[in-house]
Amino acid sequence: MSNTPSTPDVENASLEDRLYTVKYEDPGESHLDVQVVGFCVERCTTDDCVDVCPADVWRKDEDGEPVIAYENCLECGSCRFACPYNNVVWEYPENGSGVTYQYG
Amino acid sequence: MTTDTTEQTDAGGGIAADRTVSDPDYDDAFDAVVVGAGLAGSAAALTMASASLDVLVVERGTSPGAKNVFGGVLYTPTIRELVDVEDAPLERYVGEKRFGVLTEDDETAVSIQPGAWRDDPHNDSYTVLRGDFDEWFAEQAVEAGATLVTETTVTGLLRDDDGTVVGVETDRPDGTLRAPMVVLAEGGNSLVSEGADLKERPERGDVAVAVKEVLEFPDADDAIEQRFRLTGDGGAAYHYFGDGAVGDAFGGAFIYTNDDTLSVGLAYRIDDAVTTQPNPAETLDHFKSHPAVAPLVRGGRTVEYAAKTIPEGGAEAVPDLVHDGAVVVGDAAGLVLNNGVHLEGTNMAVESGYYAGLAVADAVASGRTKAHALADYPRSLESSFVVKNLEHYEWLLNAVEDDRDLLFSELPRAVADAGAEYFRVDHAPKHDHAANAKSRLFETVGGWRGAAKLAWRYRKVIS
Repeated sequence: MSNTPSTPDVENASLEDRLYTVKYEDPGESHLDVQVVGFCVERCTTDDCVDVCPADVWRKDEDGEPVIAYENCLECGSCRFACPYNNVVWEYPENGSGVTYQYG
Repeated sequence: MTTDTTEQTDAGGGIAADRTVSDPDYDDAFDAVVVGAGLAGSAAALTMASASLDVLVVERGTSPGAKNVFGGVLYTPTIRELVDVEDAPLERYVGEKRFGVLTEDDETAVSIQPGAWRDDPHNDSYTVLRGDFDEWFAEQAVEAGATLVTETTVTGLLRDDDGTVVGVETDRPDGTLRAPMVVLAEGGNSLVSEGADLKERPERGDVAVAVKEVLEFPDADDAIEQRFRLTGDGGAAYHYFGDGAVGDAFGGAFIYTNDDTLSVGLAYRIDDAVTTQPNPAETLDHFKSHPAVAPLVRGGRTVEYAAKTIPEGGAEAVPDLVHDGAVVVGDAAGLVLNNGVHLEGTNMAVESGYYAGLAVADAVASGRTKAHALADYPRSLESSFVVKNLEHYEWLLNAVEDDRDLLFSELPRAVADAGAEYFRVDHAPKHDHAANAKSRLFETVGGWRGAAKLAWRYRKVIS
């Protein structure tokens, strides 16, 4: 019997590396937006879009304004459901752009 | 409507005679347009095409499955009747199901591997990868006569003066497509159905966010067989609950064995994801590092990371399935069962697509497309396992929500402690350990009376 740790280390890929595994074609413009600009700063205190996103698409800048890294998007739609103010505009990326899952 | 090289046709089904495949005009050329080439959409297309309808399937991805994510175990009782699954890209049959309850550092698990599951048709349960399977399943619909167009997004529905749905708008130039019937099989993020007021956006308490990694093991060819004790085409489906799986959230985690990869992931309610629970990617990291999980996944290289949302609102959250000129199927119709023990959606998607396809074929054959002419679809679904299962477990969603701390946190801890105590090896007699184990459990569930109440409340989980 040895004294090596009983739980083997699992090297979890960084989110960046994980996202790099997904085949992606940039639609050229964001398929995500906010309905009412300024609303997030004025009214939102919970940042639910940021908390739920599996891909770090939604971030808030210093002023609380959302910054949308749409090219990270895995197209799950969770931000759309999460926002209690229905302030997320979500459109399907057009003409086959966005993610292409090889495994799924 | 014009497209480039993205359509597949079989025997030119549905295209007007004066059009060529390279310059088709699909407007008014089809009896039905299916939005989305997932399991529900392709099942509907296959069923309608087999009934001699001219069917167009519009898929927004580069190929069927390109936008689709699931856990995944595919349940095949109806698929088997529709197509020859022997030819399908299946990964492994499910030969073992294992349910593990995780605290931060304990696991208490139950495993079943009935001998009958090793025999064909393997309880109709197979791991698959949707990129492969959905493409194959859509091909079966094309071979039955349907026309498939990819890289084309439906952006809205067309209605006539009295509100009947009479086709779709797409993102293609001249992308208006009129057709008597539209089948909405667009998945859980159902922008078209919601945009056309065929359903409301589900509450976030009724929707789960899910993430998954597909792992391969470049340094150990037999890692999957060894770690999961597999032989031949046999595979395993491991499900996990409790703090060690998804923290304080309402949900669970999973590991499924594919042919030479693992699907590892978890899902929990969006209501919980927006609280103190770490984000889904971090929650997945935490699960993979659990002492009982890490030995199964270590050394795995992520070959794909994926996310999706799952409609889990149960029977109450299922929207109207038929409308004038349109039907809603699969995830778009909220047809997913998650009662903790059974996690099913693929079979319900196929069943709904099949019944919707039959109803649409009958309606179109008699020249009618109003909702009442399509009533066979909800009627058939209600008498099938799909709605019966959803209704049978409706009570469970509420009960589990009320008891969530007990079920996901306190009870797993107590079971782990009681197990350790019951089997403790020291100088005390076993009788003392058994008594201590019993009182550890009883203090959590509230004695015999509490245990009896719990057993009664959850009796229908397995009955």
